[in-house]
Amino acid sequence: MNALTDRHRERLLGYALLAPVAIFLAGLVAYPFLSAIYLSLTEKIVGYPAHFVGLKNYSALLESGRFRIVAWNSAAFTVGSIVVKLVVGMAMALALHHVVRGNQFIRGILLLPWVIPTVVIALTWKWLMDLFRGLINVALIDVGVVRSGVHWLGDPTLAMVSVIMANVWRGFPFFGVSFLAAMQTVPQELYDAAAVDGAGGWHKFWQITLPSIKGVVAVVTLLSTIVTLNDFNIVYIMTRGGPGAATHIFATYSYELGIMSQRWGLAMAASLASLPLVALLIVAVVRYLHREED
Amino acid sequence: MTTLAKKLGVLFALLTIAAAPLLEPAAGAGKLSLWRLKTYIPPADKILDLNAQECAKKAAIELAIQTYTFDDMWTKFTAAIESKTLPDIAELDAVGPARLANLGRLSDVSDVVTAATRELGPILPNADGAVKFGGKYYAVPHYAIPLVLFYRSDILTKVGAEPPDTWEDIQKVSEKVKKAGVQDFPNGFPWNRTGDGYDPAMSLLWSYGAAWVDRSGKFTGIPKAQGLEALKVVTRAYVADKTAAFDYLSWSGATNNEAFMAGKITFTPNGPSILFQEESTQHPLLKDTAIKVMPKGPAGRNLALTFVMNWAVPTDGKQQKEAKALIGCVMARENFVKYMTGSFRQMVPLFAKPLDDAYWNTPSGKIIVDTVKQGHPVGWPGPTTPAAAEVVSGNVLTDMITRVIVDKVAPEAAIDEANKRIKEIYDRLPVK
Repeated sequence: MNALTDRHRERLLGYALLAPVAIFLAGLVAYPFLSAIYLSLTEKIVGYPAHFVGLKNYSALLESGRFRIVAWNSAAFTVGSIVVKLVVGMAMALALHHVVRGNQFIRGILLLPWVIPTVVIALTWKWLMDLFRGLINVALIDVGVVRSGVHWLGDPTLAMVSVIMANVWRGFPFFGVSFLAAMQTVPQELYDAAAVDGAGGWHKFWQITLPSIKGVVAVVTLLSTIVTLNDFNIVYIMTRGGPGAATHIFATYSYELGIMSQRWGLAMAASLASLPLVALLIVAVVRYLHREED
Repeated sequence: MTTLAKKLGVLFALLTIAAAPLLEPAAGAGKLSLWRLKTYIPPADKILDLNAQECAKKAAIELAIQTYTFDDMWTKFTAAIESKTLPDIAELDAVGPARLANLGRLSDVSDVVTAATRELGPILPNADGAVKFGGKYYAVPHYAIPLVLFYRSDILTKVGAEPPDTWEDIQKVSEKVKKAGVQDFPNGFPWNRTGDGYDPAMSLLWSYGAAWVDRSGKFTGIPKAQGLEALKVVTRAYVADKTAAFDYLSWSGATNNEAFMAGKITFTPNGPSILFQEESTQHPLLKDTAIKVMPKGPAGRNLALTFVMNWAVPTDGKQQKEAKALIGCVMARENFVKYMTGSFRQMVPLFAKPLDDAYWNTPSGKIIVDTVKQGHPVGWPGPTTPAAAEVVSGNVLTDMITRVIVDKVAPEAAIDEANKRIKEIYDRLPVK
């Protein structure tokens, strides 16, 4: 009887010790998330009470030509950034995997973009790409590649490419370091055996390295997709969504609706619009990882 | 007491200690909080803070000053509106009084305005529309930062052009400058998501008779013919004559200052902060920098006065009387003149007497004062309303222009789109 009571007490203590973390998580994660979903279903203007309107905000967004532009831009920005980060990150990992001397130093240097605050990165890239005084244009003109400055942040297509470049520069070390860590867990015997069978570098990569690290690739890609889809600083600082709405993405559009126009309901709907896609991605990756484990 | 109870007791005590600062009131007795704009003129900000602290000291009040920039002002205020933690004294932008008064979150400060007018003379009639609603003042006009036309006098001399007085003139002179090979993209009017975009956009439309409301502030829509004329003159610079670069449409609030001071553009609309920067750094272009009142159009010179700052007393504060007294002290003639004369001509009063001060009796000072006197509040020819505020903050006007420039939408369709958006705003936020 006493033993049971003690166990009961222990369990109670366990719950009590867990409670602060649970409350903390509920307060900081669950509540804002559920609150955002609720707000997206309301007509909520800052300072006024919210009125439930069902899916009206979502249907208004679907009918809005501007939102379609924003959705397209967000997709282009995210897919463009992720694909390039994947390729550059993989190249970084492969290169570092074979570097013996100065490996730690190079790894440290390559991690710098990931450590520098995003605001600093965005401001630096904005300056680099400035039409008149940007280092890139000055260099291109000086070496005679172009006669006048390239409109990096002015041409609608180039502006999107520019914000993608800045995002890639910030994010590729995360890919590279994660892939490198995964590569270092692949048993050397597999490569030795493949070498005996006459496999070249390309074959070893496709047949051994990539299959061995694909779980990490999937998780890193998923995490980065979520972060990139919600990116705000780079676009806001470099172009403010311009020229026109050429680089306006979900985050900048939600900011414009929610803070500048004070329309929280619509802003929440705009920022949650990508949620089904992200949820599907998460489910797909988790299921894939479970299947791999099995 | 059991071990479990003891442990829970310790846990509770720790949580209570951790939460204690959150439970503490923001401003107790004898304490006031003041939020103000952090301007581009740090010396002026310093004078304002000193004045406010002196006033607080005299009243035996502890004053806590917080700042924001134009960029993060509404982020800060939005959070405070929702959490009911607005400061005791708030310096609000041109649309702030309309928005907050409409929410019933501002106190009537007519008595403070009356006291201020005794010392500073009457409020300019064009400033009333942004602070007076239903016959009561909900904010005290502090100052305006008027947008003026900056131009390079040396370049104009070089191409034999007179300083432009109309929107058409700006375009013609820009073409001359480009043809002369002086600059590739001299026309630095950025139709972007900053005040340097939407303030000139209003001046442009109003100068062509293309306001979207009537005198009562009710929606009428941008008239097609006038709107088309206005759109034609400014989009030509980007799509036909190429005297402006698309990059200007992505500029931030400071980039046009930088481009002008780097000698890359001939024209740009800006507050007088370029003068401050050039004077304080003895910039080589200072001698070639000139200013002029913003251009007029066929319907006259109907300038927007978007950068207006106003003192307000939110109802959230518990010490209304002290807050009002502090505003009264800051706006006292001696304090105000000290601030104004230390502002490098950036902070222009909206009361009659200080506008006549000898401080403004310089060529550029006269232009700046003239601009303020001719300015109209957001939502002109009606008063500033929450709906008018949203038209501006939602970038409806500059979006209309960039739809033509960037997305190659027909000007007629761009006006229709803008009118549809504006109507939706006015339907949602009807003018009371």
